[in-house]
Amino acid sequence: MAGTDAFVRWRYRFVPDHVVGEILSKRWTDNLIPLFFLLMTVLVFGAAIQDFYSLGYLITAARQLGEFLLIVIGLLIVMLGGGIDLSVGSNFALANIVGLIAMNVLGWPVWTSLICTILATGAVGLINGILVGYLRLRAFLTTLVTLIMVRAVVDILLLKFSVPISGATPDSDLWEYIGDGTMLGLPFSFVVAAAIAIVVHIFLSRSRPGWHVAAVGGSRRSAFNIGIPVRRTVCMTYILSGALAGIAGFLYAARLGGAGADTGVGLDIGALTAAVLGGNSLGGGRGSVAKGILGAIIVLVITNGLVRLGFQSGATSMFLGAILLLAVSIDVRWFKNRHKVLSKVYVSPTYFQLPPRPSTLPDSGSPYALNDKLRNVEVIGLDQIEGPEDVILDRDNNLYCGSRHGDIIKFFGPDHKRSEIFAHIGGHPLGMAFDREGNIQVCVGGMGLYAVSPKGEVRKMTDETNRSPRSIVDDARVRFADDLDVAPDGRIFFSEASIRYESQDWAVDGVECRPNGRVICHDPRNGTTRTVLRNIRLANGICMASDGQSLLLNETWACRVLRYWFDGPKAGKVEVVLEGLPGYPDNVNRASDGNYWLALVGMRTPVLDLALRKPGFRRRMARRIPMDEWLFPNINTGCVVKFDEQGNILDALWDLGGQNHPMITSMREHRGHLYIGGIYNNRIGKYRIPGADPNWTAQDHYWGPVR
Amino acid sequence: MIMGPIRRAIDRFRGAGSAAITLPPMDGAIRPNQAIEVATLVLEIEAPDNLVFDGRNIFFSNGAAVLSFDPAATTPRPETIATFDHPVTCLAASAEGTVIAGLNDGAILFAAGPRKGQRLAEVGAKPSCPTALLIDGGTLIVCHGSRQNAPLNWKHDLMQLNASGSVWRIDLAGGAPTCLADGLAFPYGLAADSAREIAISESWRHRVVSARSSDTPLLDNLPGYPARLAPAVGGGYWLCVFAPRSRLVEFVLHERDFCADMFREVEPDYWIAPSLTSGRSFLEPLQGGAIKQLGILKPWAPSRSYGLLIRLDAKFLPVASYHSRADGVRHGLTSCVDLGDRVLVASKGGNAIIALDAAAQAGDAP
Repeated sequence: MAGTDAFVRWRYRFVPDHVVGEILSKRWTDNLIPLFFLLMTVLVFGAAIQDFYSLGYLITAARQLGEFLLIVIGLLIVMLGGGIDLSVGSNFALANIVGLIAMNVLGWPVWTSLICTILATGAVGLINGILVGYLRLRAFLTTLVTLIMVRAVVDILLLKFSVPISGATPDSDLWEYIGDGTMLGLPFSFVVAAAIAIVVHIFLSRSRPGWHVAAVGGSRRSAFNIGIPVRRTVCMTYILSGALAGIAGFLYAARLGGAGADTGVGLDIGALTAAVLGGNSLGGGRGSVAKGILGAIIVLVITNGLVRLGFQSGATSMFLGAILLLAVSIDVRWFKNRHKVLSKVYVSPTYFQLPPRPSTLPDSGSPYALNDKLRNVEVIGLDQIEGPEDVILDRDNNLYCGSRHGDIIKFFGPDHKRSEIFAHIGGHPLGMAFDREGNIQVCVGGMGLYAVSPKGEVRKMTDETNRSPRSIVDDARVRFADDLDVAPDGRIFFSEASIRYESQDWAVDGVECRPNGRVICHDPRNGTTRTVLRNIRLANGICMASDGQSLLLNETWACRVLRYWFDGPKAGKVEVVLEGLPGYPDNVNRASDGNYWLALVGMRTPVLDLALRKPGFRRRMARRIPMDEWLFPNINTGCVVKFDEQGNILDALWDLGGQNHPMITSMREHRGHLYIGGIYNNRIGKYRIPGADPNWTAQDHYWGPVR
Repeated sequence: MIMGPIRRAIDRFRGAGSAAITLPPMDGAIRPNQAIEVATLVLEIEAPDNLVFDGRNIFFSNGAAVLSFDPAATTPRPETIATFDHPVTCLAASAEGTVIAGLNDGAILFAAGPRKGQRLAEVGAKPSCPTALLIDGGTLIVCHGSRQNAPLNWKHDLMQLNASGSVWRIDLAGGAPTCLADGLAFPYGLAADSAREIAISESWRHRVVSARSSDTPLLDNLPGYPARLAPAVGGGYWLCVFAPRSRLVEFVLHERDFCADMFREVEPDYWIAPSLTSGRSFLEPLQGGAIKQLGILKPWAPSRSYGLLIRLDAKFLPVASYHSRADGVRHGLTSCVDLGDRVLVASKGGNAIIALDAAAQAGDAP
């Protein structure tokens, strides 16, 4: 078995399983299927048709693409907003004839004609927008009707103006340049479309109204509830679509200069196919310009390729229709199942072997031997608090603790019977420390590092750090700040337990047992935040060591305590202080005798230790059974141990029956007593430490006795 | 049928079909309540097992001893009537005062009555594994749980996916035993119906079958592992369910490689396996839903042990049930005796014999 074990170890060291889930969780993975489809199309037609990609052909194709792309972008804006615009084809034809009338018949200048054209098609868009946006008509039927009506208008205009249009040729270099000219070797219409694509991309992805469009398409009711002007936003998408169809039609007019009855026929189905094929959701809320470009290229390659292969034009439409059907069904399936796939593949356990578990039997002579010292602790705030992960006391004996409601609660000393909500932060406070000025620095789960002044004012210190170049998940945002301590010079070192999970999913991180944690340093003097240490298996408690140049760091899933030097001759070095703990270390704090208190939040179980060496077992477990049934670290029993910087265990405090403290996540010594917190507990314990200095406070010890 | 291995591979990949982990819900007649947890305590004693009644006295086993007490007494004082070299695993009593005991080493012998101390012929392949006895007229019906394991090693037998149990009939006057059924997955309870047909509870297949044919079970899809059957006064039966099924255990049963390492490295008490009792040590495996929140363990938390007694009608259909849930302690119910006005139940995991008032109807969980 040793051989297979070694194989499993190496396999999980070198194959980065977690990458699959991280990539799938990115929004841009939506584009992977269309991109793959595009490559397939390009390859297939390139192989089937000789000279399919010759320079001349590419220029013609690019010119077509410019016009087509504008239509697709207009349509996808409407689709992103949750609607659909079938009238783009007719509108395109309208723009063509209006542009030609203005240039050829009326002899207007190019700019006037362009503006006139855009106004005409924009007006059609406005009608659509008013009907769909303000009068709440169905987008599909409404635009179907405008399609027919605009087509009728175009036919009427054709009857009247087709002869004069073909009889005259506008005398304008600019008009010719728009139709045939190139810019840097690229057709003018392509350049225009590219520029507009960039502008629209920025509009949709970086601007407030652009976000409003996606919000309205994603959930109309929610968008309304948060105050987005839904009707105006919807109306605006149709106007934009109309205007873009106008520009496209004008470019088309300049290129071909002729008005025919079949202009823009079938363009709507082509544009719709392109938009959906690119991955823009028909349901709204999901789409981008990049997707539109992908879809437009695919559709153009296919239509041109089929024509070149000698198919009749009916066959092309048939083919496009079939692709549209396929794309719509894939769209629905993907949208429905993507998060299911993601939830199945995101958890990617890895191999980990823990050192042997020390005995905890009462008569074993082990330093961790079970006892009942915590059975008769005094209880503070029973049923008044929920989830005091960390507790801290000030010089006036007032006790502060976090709660899962996002508050910091203050119990007034010396008896701690009376309490008040000291500050409301909004996230679960997980770790606390006093700085020199007497502010409480707090790590807040899901929010970052915050400071609470002695008056109870809350201030954000930091919630982001430097982005590491090789991380796929965005690790710039601090999601799971866990515990902190303040260095003598005021720098704050805090741990982020995991970059892959939020604080409520701590146990999933444990099932994974991957080094996802890190230590971050925030310097309040200049406001900078840098990640200083990575690859920790759940980075947890932090405490400054006695030399002022290093800190103690609990690596929870590895069951060990590390010491990291941030200053001095050993700066950057990491050493193991305690290894092979019988449980999972959570918080670490100073004791009055120069040693350290360490909370073990839960105990190792033999079966979980074995499962850590079986990543495949844990992966299948995560996929097959619901989370409530997963094998978890046993955090229904905890204890407190005292150790020194050399790694000797000096004392262990247990609550054997688990009556008062089924779990212990933190402890804080203050004036001869130990105050004990637990993240899922409803009380704080107060234990009298035999022989401890009755005047010792951590604040004096850190910052000196003066105020 | 050619598709078998491929089908299984796909199922294993998708977690569907044969690899699916689905459990019957505790619903209908098996809806949870706390009736066992709040029932009257009769006797507090370490791991009582296999309650039987000869018409006057209650007999039960406790380790290697057989004890008896008078159920009519207000404070019963159990007396030891026999002690053996090996733990007693099952008992049977007849109205004539005969008590027969099965031992963990496979022996079956008379524990009381005129033939006390006399051994009966061993049956089946050795080592045999007596898990339940039933005196049926002049014959004794014996459940042999497994060919591979002794009765107290039932956990090994389940996790090894064995199905080597059998049921035998022995003529008490002498003569060759006859096999009534074979290939059973740990038969653990016996009952004779009105037509003197033998019903067998088959633990690892979570069902009750007839000795005549195991093709169509009398009762199937139980949410736990059944133990002893007992006749109910007024018709029907009582079925003790000694441990719950859990999705984690069903999953682990599929993971043969993990199981092999678990057998080798971990003590059986700390296995991911059903248990008669749980939550006594922090070395036991813990499931996510069983984390104490604000000092409270939820009654519906996933648990390796449970207390469940099911009342079956004459056609073996459940009509009522009595529970001790994950937050309770009276787990591991292995046997019971219906006295008419009350039902005595042995909670082997909860170290107690309790009396369930038959008049108290099983209600919903409070």
